[in-house]
Amino acid sequence: MNVHVSHYMQPTREAAAELGTGPIPAAPYYREEFFELEREAIFKRVWLNIGHVCEIPEPGSFIVRPLEVARASILITHGKDGRIRAFHNVCTHRGTQLTKEPCGKRASFTCPYHGWTFNYDGELRAAPDFDRFFVDDKAALALPPVAVDVCAGLLFVNLDPHPQQGLREYLGPLAEQLEARAVAKATTFSEYVYEIEGNWKVTYDNFQENYHLRFVHPRSGHGAAGPENPFGYPARYGLHGLHRTQTIWTNPDPQPRPMQVLAFGAGTRSSIERGFPPTANDREYFGLFPNFFLLSNPNQHFSHTVYPLSASRSRGVIRLYWIGDDSKASERFFREYSTATARDVHCEDVAIIEAVQRGLNSGALEQIHYQANEVLCRHLFKGVSEMVQAYQADNAQKGAA
Amino acid sequence: MSGATSLPAGFEALEPFVADWALKGMARRAERRETSSEAERVAFFTAAKDLAGPALARLDEKPLAGLDEKERRLMDLMLGFAHVALAVEMQGDDEPKHARAARHLRITRAPADVGF
Repeated sequence: MNVHVSHYMQPTREAAAELGTGPIPAAPYYREEFFELEREAIFKRVWLNIGHVCEIPEPGSFIVRPLEVARASILITHGKDGRIRAFHNVCTHRGTQLTKEPCGKRASFTCPYHGWTFNYDGELRAAPDFDRFFVDDKAALALPPVAVDVCAGLLFVNLDPHPQQGLREYLGPLAEQLEARAVAKATTFSEYVYEIEGNWKVTYDNFQENYHLRFVHPRSGHGAAGPENPFGYPARYGLHGLHRTQTIWTNPDPQPRPMQVLAFGAGTRSSIERGFPPTANDREYFGLFPNFFLLSNPNQHFSHTVYPLSASRSRGVIRLYWIGDDSKASERFFREYSTATARDVHCEDVAIIEAVQRGLNSGALEQIHYQANEVLCRHLFKGVSEMVQAYQADNAQKGAA
Repeated sequence: MSGATSLPAGFEALEPFVADWALKGMARRAERRETSSEAERVAFFTAAKDLAGPALARLDEKPLAGLDEKERRLMDLMLGFAHVALAVEMQGDDEPKHARAARHLRITRAPADVGF
């Protein structure tokens, strides 16, 4: 099973003080005006996880993903030349969404409106009666490109036409750590999805603090806390620029239920056979700015992306990544059990997040409060706040010029 | 199916649960759990808890693609059992409340649903 990290350290007051200790304004967690700023200052400027390369395994494969926060639909293709490309899913004739299919395999994409046809590299291959147009250069009518890159098999896009950083630079040292995780070798996944009446930060924050575990997950959280750490706080926190990590505390005496032993025992055997045996790093939980999590434990190797839909609504996509198709019955049983276990925990969070949002939407509070072990929530707000302020300053400077 | 054995030899005790719990698709299996009664869950769990290990060991003797019809049925039954085990062992009498919350999370993909 897992290598135990039995020590448990509170963040020091000095560490907490680096991020400030005062209350946080409540308005950014529900006000439409702030969400509009986040849309421009963050979600149209930074790298966003949108999928995994295992979804486009061969030349001709494609996926289409909505990014409502940018009012965009993104087409990602695996070209015959082996390159992965991303485009706005928009016909350059008059703006029609090119394809409604969420995924598939195709040689080209034809607009349903007037039959313009585009290649995998975005090039306009054919347009009926093109001689009637007043444009000579078909090359200028290629699909609008979107920056796309891969780290650890994870697909990221950046909607900035001129990204300020490449993906590797954006992720910094975490890129190398992610590459060492099983997700980099994943070939398939389990997935479940939820939509929630919750601001994306309210939703995301729920999943980066353990203060609530004993209250919201009294049964499914069994084993995540113990007498020496009754709240199940992480063993360690790490702040990495805009991103953050935590090391999940391991209960030295988790007292698993018999069927947990059966399922996760099979999972551990599977992990070893797949070349990812348990290691000391299995408890690392990555939080990539702005809206992505990855837990590196091979038994529950899940990603969780919180996509903003509006100031007070979000969609969560949770995936458990696996290496190889199910090889045998016990591995299949483990994967079903592990996915159901994660879903059992996550479903318990929905109602409480929506209760937070209803309270915030009332406007009754001007401020909210984070304790020392909610340091990662404070860190997210700091990153959001700084990016929004920089965007506003940039706009003010442009306005003054 | 009275008197018939739709499961491999040695697992006859699970026959009464096949119709309700040996379902195709993770979403259907989760939904069955979420709409079941406590009596149904406890009966299945009690009958299957000591047979789950032997059943998986038996099925592990072959690659999944090589399972015959009875073995595939036993596989589906074990996948249904995965959900029931969580309900009985982890949630207990909280399960009805928990089941209402679980419906918010829509299962969209599982390896068991893709190929064999």
